[in-house]
Amino acid sequence: MGDKDDRSPKKKKGATKDMDDLKKEVPITEHKMSVEEVCRKFQTDVVQGLTNAKAAEFLLRDGPNALTPPPTTPEWVKFCRQLFGGFSILLWTGAILCFLAYAIQAATEDEPAGDNLYLGIVLTAVVVITGCFSYFQEAKSSKIMESFKNMVPQQALVIREGEKVQINAEEVVAGDLIEVKGGDRIPADIRVTSAHGCKVDNSSLTGESEPQSRSPDCTHDNPLETRNVAFFSTNCVEGTARGIVICTGDRTVMGRIATLTSGLETGKTPIAREIEHFIHIITGVAVFLGVTFFILAIILGYTWLEAVIFLIGIIVANVPEGLLATVTVCLTLTAKRMAKKNCLVKNLEAVETLGSTSTICSDKTGTLTQNRMTVAHMWFDNQIHEADTTEDQSGAAFDKSSVTWLSLSRVAALCNRAQFKAGQDSVSILKRDVAGDASESALLKCIELSCGSVRMMRDKNKKVAEIPFNSTNKYQLSVHETEDPNDNRYLLVMKGAPERILDRCSTIMLQGKEQPMDEEMKEAFQNAYMELGGLGERVLGFCHVLLPEDQYPKGFAFDTDDVNFQTDNLCFVGLISMIDPPRAAVPDAVGKCRSAGIKVIMVTGDHPITAKAIAKGVGIISEGNETVEDIAARLNIPVSQVNPRDAKACVIHGSDLKDLSQDQMDDILRNHTEIVFARTSPQQKLIIVEGCQRLGAIVAVTGDGVNDSPALKKADIGVAMGISGSDVSKQAADMILLDDNFASIVTGVEEGRLIFDNLKKSIAYTLTSNIPEITPFLFFIIVNIPLPLGTITILCIDLGTDMVPAISLAYEAAESDIMKRQPRNPARDKLVNERLISIAYGQIGMIQALGGFFAYFVILAENGFLPSQLVGIRLNWDDRSLNDLEDSYGQQWTYEQRKIVEFTCHTAFFVSIVVVQWADLIICKTRRNSVFQQGMKNKILIFGLFEETALAAFLSYCPGMDVALRMYPLKPTWWFCAFPYSFLIFVYDEARKLILRRNPGGWVEKETYY
Amino acid sequence: MSGSKEDDRKGSSEWRDFFWNPRTHELLGRTAASWGLILLFYLIFYLCLAGMFAFTMYILLLTLDDYKPTWQDRLATPGMMIRPKGNQLEITFSTSDTESWDGFIHNLNSFLSPYNDSYQVQTNDECTPDEYFIQEDSGEVRNNPKRSCQFNRTMLEECSGVLDRFYGYDKGQPCILIKLNRVIGMLPGKERQSPYVTCAAKREDSDKIGPLAYYPPNGTFNLMYYPYYGKKAQVNYTQPLVAVKFLNASLNTDINVECKVTSNTLAAGSDRDKFAGRVSFKLRINDK
Repeated sequence: MGDKDDRSPKKKKGATKDMDDLKKEVPITEHKMSVEEVCRKFQTDVVQGLTNAKAAEFLLRDGPNALTPPPTTPEWVKFCRQLFGGFSILLWTGAILCFLAYAIQAATEDEPAGDNLYLGIVLTAVVVITGCFSYFQEAKSSKIMESFKNMVPQQALVIREGEKVQINAEEVVAGDLIEVKGGDRIPADIRVTSAHGCKVDNSSLTGESEPQSRSPDCTHDNPLETRNVAFFSTNCVEGTARGIVICTGDRTVMGRIATLTSGLETGKTPIAREIEHFIHIITGVAVFLGVTFFILAIILGYTWLEAVIFLIGIIVANVPEGLLATVTVCLTLTAKRMAKKNCLVKNLEAVETLGSTSTICSDKTGTLTQNRMTVAHMWFDNQIHEADTTEDQSGAAFDKSSVTWLSLSRVAALCNRAQFKAGQDSVSILKRDVAGDASESALLKCIELSCGSVRMMRDKNKKVAEIPFNSTNKYQLSVHETEDPNDNRYLLVMKGAPERILDRCSTIMLQGKEQPMDEEMKEAFQNAYMELGGLGERVLGFCHVLLPEDQYPKGFAFDTDDVNFQTDNLCFVGLISMIDPPRAAVPDAVGKCRSAGIKVIMVTGDHPITAKAIAKGVGIISEGNETVEDIAARLNIPVSQVNPRDAKACVIHGSDLKDLSQDQMDDILRNHTEIVFARTSPQQKLIIVEGCQRLGAIVAVTGDGVNDSPALKKADIGVAMGISGSDVSKQAADMILLDDNFASIVTGVEEGRLIFDNLKKSIAYTLTSNIPEITPFLFFIIVNIPLPLGTITILCIDLGTDMVPAISLAYEAAESDIMKRQPRNPARDKLVNERLISIAYGQIGMIQALGGFFAYFVILAENGFLPSQLVGIRLNWDDRSLNDLEDSYGQQWTYEQRKIVEFTCHTAFFVSIVVVQWADLIICKTRRNSVFQQGMKNKILIFGLFEETALAAFLSYCPGMDVALRMYPLKPTWWFCAFPYSFLIFVYDEARKLILRRNPGGWVEKETYY
Repeated sequence: MSGSKEDDRKGSSEWRDFFWNPRTHELLGRTAASWGLILLFYLIFYLCLAGMFAFTMYILLLTLDDYKPTWQDRLATPGMMIRPKGNQLEITFSTSDTESWDGFIHNLNSFLSPYNDSYQVQTNDECTPDEYFIQEDSGEVRNNPKRSCQFNRTMLEECSGVLDRFYGYDKGQPCILIKLNRVIGMLPGKERQSPYVTCAAKREDSDKIGPLAYYPPNGTFNLMYYPYYGKKAQVNYTQPLVAVKFLNASLNTDINVECKVTSNTLAAGSDRDKFAGRVSFKLRINDK
């Protein structure tokens, strides 16, 4: 023990150091070097590439270019964990004691009774079967992930010794010269040496949804932001590029994140902690009672063998054998129900975690938003018009009759290279695939929706010349023929950064008429631009001009390289702004989370302004709440003078986050209710999650990118996106939202809370029958009466009649609106608490025990053994050679005859437990409400009532049961012995709940509300 | 490492606080008042439960008949038992070793003392043999106490212990008494046919058992001793006996003997019950 304690922290220290290292930012420097320096560093050539010999040498040195798969637990270890975890140890002890007792009997007696051997086998079977059951449940849910694991082997085009060769991506080494083209997955981290219109999609790494261009120039100190590095496993969207591999395998940025992810230790799920806590309680009780009575039995003069048999009985009676299976089934049922509602649960225990979640850190792109640029606003005729951004076009439409709008839409349609992919006529416009970049697609769709076919428009206005967008001009223009065949003028249309466009305009179109651009209009433009920009939207300016026919006659040769035509004195038409709009269901879902006491934090890689706009749009920053900056702007004072406590909301930039100490971080998380983190790196996401957990929160993280995966893994429950999510993120998550919709999380929370409540009920129901199972043994030992309930019948209850009713409680509807209360406090609100034990063991269980004992006394008395005679009869009763034991009436009984009566008593006791469990099941349906308020709508529960009764009748009356299980048919009247007690349970508990409701917060609630 | 130690200390002080918190005066997490209240609740609760249980038990006792149990179906085939009852139904002794059978003699003597002729004559009636001794109650009026028939010790002749003080144990010809278990209202024969006992050795021992003698003659339980009316109504009931004397059993070997009752009314016992309508025991007579 001490040895272990000494060693583990040391080990941990080493591991934490590595982890801290990984949490630091990426150490790539190659982007700052010149191409020649890079070549020198990797002993390679910018034209010829590596020599084959060098490549082989490097491959040997660095190993293959692949991510090390996370270490997996061998299957047999998992199986053993199921076989020896939980109550299994206790049951194994019981089974071993049984075999031991049998061995002793076999050694000392001529004709050993098979009971102990039989019981030992049954116990072993129970443990093995429940172990297998849990194992297969677990295996089934982890199987889901297998499909995500299969990655297609990837090829890479490398240049070695001047020749282009296709090789397996795993064989790529640092220094290799690599060529990528649109559609390829980038095989390693590459320092770009040359590029032609190359754009890469970094969304899986940084969360930015926009493809970014790559070029050989270093544009930023941060390797993640610079243009001349392309990253492993991101995609090249268009163009081609050549570059030198600088990192491979686990040393790539992606590899580091993956290592960080798999290296993170995840704590136990809250429900696992609760179940462990509960197992501790039960095991404690079982061991305490077992040992006490073992010692007591020895003191009372029983033999060792008898004492051991008592010990077995007490263990068997104390352990709710079927309960863990019940819990697993309940969780599985909920998982299934959640899967139907688009929450796929990978890890069964995670089902409940969402229910106890107190903080959700949500990614923005794709989860809160539609992950689709959409036109949000337009400014024309000196007025801002709002476009419809909803997914189903149910929002308000704007005035489309203005002539200016026609011009604007024409400019937007013509000066646009995006087009719909072929063969999608049946698909609704918004869902069609578009070839082209995000903002052009947004414009295309918007125009198509409001003005009809863009292609027709383009056909009518043939394109004559075009200058594509580039970063120096910051505009895009094209020249078209006009629609009117008699008009030979050319139409020049232009779009681009609004301020650049404005500079080129001398007039502005208002209500279809050109008017000179005066200062007033410029100010109006500025205001509109600021306002739209402030909404976090990307704004584009549009202008056009009809080129005079005299200067540009038909057939004029437009030269786009050396511009030989007019590009200023244009007519400004309007602004169009775009945003990735929030999903329709999200604001409502965020509101529900908030009323459920869950704090929603937005963590995104996007820009603060956009993040804040979306946060306001979906209610993460609620109406009326201001950030420090807002207050400063309103009061017109510097930010530093604002008391940060006044601002409930805050937007924190990733670069600020880097400089925060742990205390400051805690302070922010504690004092602001509405937080947005923008421009965060994967490592920072992890730090945010750890910060929340440090404050005791149970954190859910949603995300789709690889950049989210460390946070997903670290979170108490990681939620990945099913459609847009990367494989790595799905791997790291516990739950997958199949529809990528944040609103599905709310469903998850609701189901999680419900299952927690219902598990409580289920456990209360199951534990109650422990008392009528234990007390017979205790009385058997202390007052020497014939045994009222045998171990086999106990197993029949725990694994037979109690199972279906206990499971049926998982289908119970909520008693009140569970989404209106605070999340449970894991430190205080336990699954099994002392009040539950007090009710189950101390009160209801005792009534049940009396019911059972009454049936026992009735049967013995009606057969001739009056209660007064029973005390102390045990020694004679269990004497095999005493075959003329006298009863209260003077009749004499053989051993077998009285044993049959005893086993009939066991059966009756068993049936009585079933009868009192009816009432227990009905009272366990609710914890506060009356059954009459709750109703009996749970069909499974009603089925459970009939099923347990039928099973009890079957066990009692089926021929052959006397031999198989030693259960005997009961006289009909004996079924009714426990009825008064069943009724008493119902009345007592209804009365308790009535007082509890009438007197909220009173003594009854404090002592009995579990 | 220091962290874990600190945690330990914190943990133990938490435990100590839980056990007895001097600030709030809480013992095991409850104040005295809280303990008092919960204990009072449980006291009252359990008293009420005890009351309820006592009440249902009282109802149960009201439904019971004083003279006859409600159910007797488990006693359809009466059990049989032997006297003397040795350890695990083994009768093992040496003819020459007095001490080895002394216990059996004592056992038989004390068992047979109520059968002494003098006592029987004093307390019991002489009845008509081969007829049931029926003493019905007339409606609600109990015909109590019911009388019983005499079973005199001398009826066992050689095995009565009167003629042979040692029941033949000293000569290697032991007597075993066989009795049929008492069952209220049992009528073990019809058409004046009394049930009788036959003893035989189990298969492989059949040549070792030798001739047997039964007392009373034919080993019958005479019908006049039936039916039995229960210990409350028939205080002086004397259970009929059959004695079996092993006249020439093989010495120094285990003999497994099984005695059966033959009756034309009693059901044959099930295979599971080795003592319903039959009794098995092991006999071993050593000569040294």
